Amino acid sequence: MTAVREAIYLPALCLTVTLLGGLRPGAPVVLPSPSPFSLVLAVLLLGVLIQSGGLAPRRLLDTSRSALQNLNGFVLLATVFVAGAQVFSLLTPGFGLPRLVFSVYFLVLLLNTWAAGPDRVRALRSLTVTFGAAFVLKFVVLNALSDATGGRLARVLQMLFEGVTLGAFTQEVHHPASGYLAFVTVVLFLIALALLPVRDSHYRTQREVILRE
Amino acid sequence: MRESAVRGAGLVITLAYASLIGWLYARQPATMAEVTGGLSAAVGAYRIDQQAFEDGVRYFRNDQFVEARAAFGRADPARRDARTQFYVAYSWYREGWGRFYSDDTLYRHGLEAVERAIALAPGGRLIVEDPAQEIGTADELKAELESGLRRDAADFNPRRIFRDRK
Repeated sequence: MTAVREAIYLPALCLTVTLLGGLRPGAPVVLPSPSPFSLVLAVLLLGVLIQSGGLAPRRLLDTSRSALQNLNGFVLLATVFVAGAQVFSLLTPGFGLPRLVFSVYFLVLLLNTWAAGPDRVRALRSLTVTFGAAFVLKFVVLNALSDATGGRLARVLQMLFEGVTLGAFTQEVHHPASGYLAFVTVVLFLIALALLPVRDSHYRTQREVILRE
Repeated sequence: MRESAVRGAGLVITLAYASLIGWLYARQPATMAEVTGGLSAAVGAYRIDQQAFEDGVRYFRNDQFVEARAAFGRADPARRDARTQFYVAYSWYREGWGRFYSDDTLYRHGLEAVERAIALAPGGRLIVEDPAQEIGTADELKAELESGLRRDAADFNPRRIFRDRK
């Protein structure tokens, strides 16, 4: 990985994700900080990336590197962590039953991916599907079902869900720009994940060496 | 040498960008005017529109509170000037004041504005000298607004209706 990518492009990309992921357009514009649970999910995400080889911490922090290089590496890891937390926060509904369901969804999927031990490409594919599905569910399906000005079918479905969940289903309707902003944020984050320094053969884990032998 | 320069520059850029994001999260500016105003205030370059401020004070003295707030909004779009925010709060107070009861919604807006003014004033101490108004400090205005929002036995005192608006 080049110094420019490690020191400038990737941290800037992750910080942009952090900024856009926190932005809630509307009147007034709000910038909520990530929830504590999304921090936990971000830790799991880093764990999945490291285990799959999609992120090689030793290529960012190592005794063989200079202090400045290690500082750049640490900053990059920190920005990836914060951006990850903000993306989970962005894709999790604000309150009620959907918030709980989405939180469990992310937790189970990350633990499952970790347990499966996929390689880098499969892990990135899995994360793309996880984030993509959460985006569609929150910004398309839930938004349509929570919109009181929607069609007759939407209102019937709203009544049904409200009855079954005792009013814990409906969410606030997002500003029209929110979905586009969230889409851009998720895509930027996935690009950042794909550009992270990968584990090369030199840093192959002991388990992989044994399996290959 | 070149790599060290790139890494150093990257560190500076990243820290500056992260500081900006941290500032945005801490300040929670609601509009772009508040973002630019807040940043210029941070470097001491923020100035209110004096003409609009004077228009606002004139409207305020004529009891034209909606017009006054519009003028104060033009004068201080980023809501970074303590004196302007004091007048905004005062206009909410005077508009919400009533002989029999005060308007809680307007008083709450006033309380938000006066708290903003206190937060912006150096050391939280704000004095606005003006012989045409009875309330001369942000603390007095805040106490007045809070007492208007409070429900207590004094609210049922018939002598209340003879009190004057400040």
